[in-house]
Amino acid sequence: MNRRLAKSLTLAALATGAALCVLAVTVAPARLLVHLDNDYLRISVTPRLNFLAGRTLERLKDGASVAFVGQLTIVPDPNSLVTAARSVARFALSYDIWEQKFAVTKMGERPDSRHSKSNLSSAEATENWCLENLTIERSLIPSDRPFYVQLDLRAEDPRDQAGIVGESGISISGVVDLFRNPVKSGQKPLRVTNGPLRLADLRKAGHG
Amino acid sequence: MSRSALPALALLLTLPFGSSIICGSLFADEELYRAAAETNVNRRYTIESIAVAGVQIDRAKLPSRLRQRMNALVGKHCDVAVLQELAADLRSELHLREVNQHLLRGSRPDRVRVDFDVVRKPIDISVPRFLYHSQQGFSGEVAAQSRIGENSFSIVAVSNGDDLTERFTGIAARYDDSRLGTDRVRFGIGFEDYHEQWNSATRAAIEPDTQPFDLYRSRRNIAPELTFVLMKPVTVSVGTSFERTESENPATGARSANAITAELHYGRKIEGDTVQQTVDGRYGLRVGSHGLGSDYSYSRHMISLRYEIKSGRQTASDEFIGGAMAGAAPMFERFVLGSSDTLRGWDRYAIDPLGGDRMVHNSLTYGYRLGERTAEVFYDSGALWNEGGSARFRHSVGVGYRQGVFVLTMAFPVTQGRIEPVFMAGMNY
Repeated sequence: MNRRLAKSLTLAALATGAALCVLAVTVAPARLLVHLDNDYLRISVTPRLNFLAGRTLERLKDGASVAFVGQLTIVPDPNSLVTAARSVARFALSYDIWEQKFAVTKMGERPDSRHSKSNLSSAEATENWCLENLTIERSLIPSDRPFYVQLDLRAEDPRDQAGIVGESGISISGVVDLFRNPVKSGQKPLRVTNGPLRLADLRKAGHG
Repeated sequence: MSRSALPALALLLTLPFGSSIICGSLFADEELYRAAAETNVNRRYTIESIAVAGVQIDRAKLPSRLRQRMNALVGKHCDVAVLQELAADLRSELHLREVNQHLLRGSRPDRVRVDFDVVRKPIDISVPRFLYHSQQGFSGEVAAQSRIGENSFSIVAVSNGDDLTERFTGIAARYDDSRLGTDRVRFGIGFEDYHEQWNSATRAAIEPDTQPFDLYRSRRNIAPELTFVLMKPVTVSVGTSFERTESENPATGARSANAITAELHYGRKIEGDTVQQTVDGRYGLRVGSHGLGSDYSYSRHMISLRYEIKSGRQTASDEFIGGAMAGAAPMFERFVLGSSDTLRGWDRYAIDPLGGDRMVHNSLTYGYRLGERTAEVFYDSGALWNEGGSARFRHSVGVGYRQGVFVLTMAFPVTQGRIEPVFMAGMNY
């Protein structure tokens, strides 16, 4: 009897431990990895940010277009309003419903300065492509003082005024809906920060 | 125009543009979203078919303009930006909570099917129409509507100083079943409860002992109606109207104005490649009889004919209405000219403060479209008189500016002496 009880307790402890490990992995905060690549500061995030998920991914797989705005900033302190350098990139994503591949375009100032990649096999590969194309010029990074690198990502909301003014008049319900559900995509803005960092340290090796 | 009306007028002038100002600030990156649609990888596929809520567009109940736009996309490359605009217009015109487009694989690897998934609002509260008239003041409605299957319910709060000799304010409720056993039969029942306000000119025109007009302070109506679709453009409606008025004169008290109602309607759109024509005709009959328990015995006939032609940027339309009554009818049945769509520019109380029992009117309009905006000029002519009297024709001209459902109008009566223009700003009037 005692042996059976001991066995049950051991199994329960193992199960609890395994559950805690899974939970720890699941809720592990994203870390922003920063490295220098020739004249650019580049980033990656581990574990995966998973910004192509949920409703956003559903919309993509329905053939819709999804737009993301990414911003990389160099700041003296976390949440500082003063920035030393900033880079903003706008990404247009879609999903080929026949090929079942993702495509992404980094929007430029002009249509001919767009940069695209298609045949991406997974959402993760698409996310990685977006992050790889979000860079800051090395010359803009302060070399004499520590700094923080901050990544912000947000989905652009395809809201419109339709449903408020139409042939049947002004919909008060539409106005209420608009202000009650400010973000239709269900995607909250994401922010990941790393620091304090020094340029000299980044020069030596890839820095996490 | 009174000084107190100026702030209200300024507010109204901003209304056509108000929604775009609000939404423009909220959706500053709409341009990015449009650019994203333009780079969608599914653009290379051809649209095989389009459905709304799983129903193919040929069978879906849609406004003809939207159906036409959807039909035009079949066989073309899948432009996601255009599909987004269509989804937004569907949402707007059908007052839906949400419309999302889904692309599905077609019958061949280079083809896709489009399905617009719709989410209805359980209850839609809206302002279906409003009007500011520089002589008559404000008229408007606030409505709550709900639809369950083929059944629709609505409750509307109304204040209207435009349609009748009096201003009526109150509540109207309505139930409609758009399919009573078959698609060819519809049933509707309306309930109205209004309080009336009479213009001083109307009161002054009443001579209590010599004229049979009763100024009531309230009226209540229940009107069931059956509509039969004889063929696609022709419908016939028959019903009854059980109306009760409460006189301002205590000696008169409550009076019944029950009537049998009937309407014949013909409506047709002829859509060519470059020219679109609309023909609309109505004949309405209301007969009040002592046999229905009515205190009034009368018959009222009204006919309206409208023809519109659109070609490119240009639109021209002509609308004729005419009416006649026999017997002694209550005040709300009497014809009026000088409203927001008849003899615009004229003061209705200067034409006849009691309305008339004979009326003819014609309105000719020309519009030129510039993008979403339309500039209009119009010419109205009409006569209002009473049986045994002589018809005197009056004329008016004016200009209008229309953007979507919003309209601004300045109208001038064609008359000798001092001319005072009438300004109107409104929506769906």
